[in-house]
Amino acid sequence: MFANGDEIFKISRLTIAWLTIIFTIVWMVCWGVGIGLPMLLTQQLGDQANLANEILRAVTPVIAILVFIPINAMFMVLIERRALALWTVRKGPNRVGPDGNLQTAADAVKLLLKEDITPTGADAAMHTFAPILFFAPSIIGAVPLLAAVTNDHPLFHILNLPTGIFYVLAAGALPVVALVMAGWASNNKYSLVGGLRSAAQAISYEIPLVLSLVTVCLMAGTLDLVKIAQQQAGGILNWNLLGGGALVGLNQAIGGGGAKALEAAYPMGAVSYVCAGLLVCSLIISFWLYLTGACAEINRIPFDLPEAESELVSGYNTEYSGMKFAIFFLAEFTNLFVVASVTTVMFLGGGDNPIPPYILDKIPGIPQMVAAIRESFLCQNLHLINPETLFATLWVIAKVYGLVIFAILIRATLPRFRIDQLMAFGWKRLIPLSLIVFIIVVFAREFVNIHG
Amino acid sequence: MQNVVTVKEPQSSVNLALVYALVAAAVVGSYTGQLSTAAGIESIVTNHYDFWACLGLALAGWIFRSVGGHKGVIVTMTVLASFIILTLSQPMLLRYLTFAALLFSMGLYGMVQSRNAVRVLLSIELMLNAVNINLIAFSRYVDPVALKGQLFVIFVLTVAAAEAAVGLAVVLAIYRSRQTVDMDKFTLLKW
Amino acid sequence: MGQDLLPPLLSAPGVETWAFYILTTLSICLAIAVLADRVVIRSGFILIGVFGTISGIFLLLSAQFLALAQIMIYAVGITLMVVIALMLTNPRLEREQAVVYYDENLPPLAKIFASCKRNLSLWVSVLSFVTLYSALIGENHWPLSDQPVSPDAVKVLGEALVTNYSIPFEFSSVLLLAALMGAVMLAKGESKNRDDDNVAIVDEAKKQENNLALQR
Repeated sequence: MFANGDEIFKISRLTIAWLTIIFTIVWMVCWGVGIGLPMLLTQQLGDQANLANEILRAVTPVIAILVFIPINAMFMVLIERRALALWTVRKGPNRVGPDGNLQTAADAVKLLLKEDITPTGADAAMHTFAPILFFAPSIIGAVPLLAAVTNDHPLFHILNLPTGIFYVLAAGALPVVALVMAGWASNNKYSLVGGLRSAAQAISYEIPLVLSLVTVCLMAGTLDLVKIAQQQAGGILNWNLLGGGALVGLNQAIGGGGAKALEAAYPMGAVSYVCAGLLVCSLIISFWLYLTGACAEINRIPFDLPEAESELVSGYNTEYSGMKFAIFFLAEFTNLFVVASVTTVMFLGGGDNPIPPYILDKIPGIPQMVAAIRESFLCQNLHLINPETLFATLWVIAKVYGLVIFAILIRATLPRFRIDQLMAFGWKRLIPLSLIVFIIVVFAREFVNIHG
Repeated sequence: MQNVVTVKEPQSSVNLALVYALVAAAVVGSYTGQLSTAAGIESIVTNHYDFWACLGLALAGWIFRSVGGHKGVIVTMTVLASFIILTLSQPMLLRYLTFAALLFSMGLYGMVQSRNAVRVLLSIELMLNAVNINLIAFSRYVDPVALKGQLFVIFVLTVAAAEAAVGLAVVLAIYRSRQTVDMDKFTLLKW
Repeated sequence: MGQDLLPPLLSAPGVETWAFYILTTLSICLAIAVLADRVVIRSGFILIGVFGTISGIFLLLSAQFLALAQIMIYAVGITLMVVIALMLTNPRLEREQAVVYYDENLPPLAKIFASCKRNLSLWVSVLSFVTLYSALIGENHWPLSDQPVSPDAVKVLGEALVTNYSIPFEFSSVLLLAALMGAVMLAKGESKNRDDDNVAIVDEAKKQENNLALQR
């Protein structure tokens, strides 16, 4: 039954080991810059260190992201290759290091040492600037998500913007420019066609993507990512995936509120129940719309027409090599990660536990374990671990990398679209569907008490 | 008509332009020094030194240009130095408004000067943005509670988007019939 | 950037001035580059930089929502323009030729007049700036308010859009729809059998032009 049991075991082992390494490193850096260094400075200098401490705390999130992105991309490339090998019944990387686990490190070194070529007749300045413009928004867009995924940890509280999701969307609109720029500056017809395709595709698929997120914001009543994440606390029935708060009343009723909670949440009786059902359906559709649109935005298979190898000899990045190509590569995986994080925060409850607390508290051992962690030495003296953040982050990591694995599974499963099919699918299917969902939500939410 | 000749751009020297840049920086520096005392500000306001300084800079720039300085550097330095001189003694709101006026004039220049229809559209976008800066500056400094200026900016953005879409479509249609985007050849409505 | 950090940072006396001058310097340089660049496509890309700095200025004016909207709308909008420019021009060959026509045999004074005439657009723009600036200086007594912009500006904007300003809002949406349909109608390719007519029309127009030139 499990012919690939060995391979699956290896992949799981690899994932757990790598994730532990990545997040330990990132957290140590954050702690060092944001908490450890200020503590040391205050001990040495007293009040004079206040300004320096403020600056250190302000740059912590950026440093965290900058440390996180390269190691994360290395891991994601590796896991993508191994998982693809598993699903297409091949052997993945298996030469460099134990089980081929150092393959991406070797690849990274190779890419960085390659000669950097600017083609003849190319616009050198634009050719250099395009990868930067492609990469920068993925960092900028990832930054406000930090506060949401760490359950509003004080270190990242600075980044809690009132226009959070809009900020992420604005950052997500910029890479299109970079792709057109790269395609044009390469002085290559295939690259140019790749750039033009990416512009057409991104503009078409941005509409359903934004509309699905607007639907969620409409239910939540705010653009603030932290608030959206916190609204969904309390188990899977509260998540935006399942009705964006339409089932909160049901959750309360099961959790001990009884008929009273039901009455408060669904005041119109049968109409309210029907509307709640509609909301659940709409939000699930929205979720898939978002995933589809995001897949097209970040040029993943089945929407990777701008860089189709068989048609365009890999499109806009044909003429790139060395560092610049590495930056493109890095940015693509970072974008995948950012999209998965946005999905987690907007639809999958952020750092919330899928099991509701009224069930969790009855499982023997778990409350004691939580209490033990809270009492432990690491939380108390050094502020090394913040218990609220710890559990939230663990859940976020599980959800985000689950989505990443899902994207890889889709890549292994589906073939590439043709360009006319892509456009027809976007304009004739996704956009009307997203508009219909939006209108249903606008009306249905009037009959249900959302979020108490 | 037979005397018209096509001349190449005159040989331009970046070094000369850099000398001009130094001159402009010196003027701005001395002006900033004047601003540090109340008497200095007083004399500036009564004697319109800022205006004369700008005029002098423009003249000097013209001379440097005719001698053969690099055009881009000279124009940029003149605009920047005049902008700083004109705004430094003003309150914050007026600085934003002056900046918007400058951008608007630059957009106007581009709109009148360019022969490529796409660049004309780009210049119009620049002018619309200058208007937006005006509106937002007023809503920040005059009406920070109701934010009517920001509301109007939302409408301006909408209209700008519509304008760009229709404008591009018109350019596309003309290109299809005339095979050019040169504004001088768009003479369909002349007679 | 965050609501905790930004206001105290900006309220420090010199910071807003410094940020303003850095942003405007960048913006003016980029705007000059937009106007001066020979390649239209490159000037389109540079224009995105101008809009980036302008959205920075919006942030300085604490209009966070509009700064983001600016980036989002113009990044895509200008890309579209650039794409259209790409379709309409051959990016490598058809640079805008800078041809200066002037008559060498004119007397010196007439030469100056000729140069003024050549640079007419420059005079127009300088004149417009002078007019605007003198108007600003003359009008400089607005009732300034000391209050900071309310932190929930997004909420204020949203409420105003659906209450006091709902009719303009509806109108602008209708306008967008009409513009969208008009743009589609204009840009849609005409059917094949009308192409011959078009060629005939173009030929006719060219002939007319030649005749007029001859008449002159």
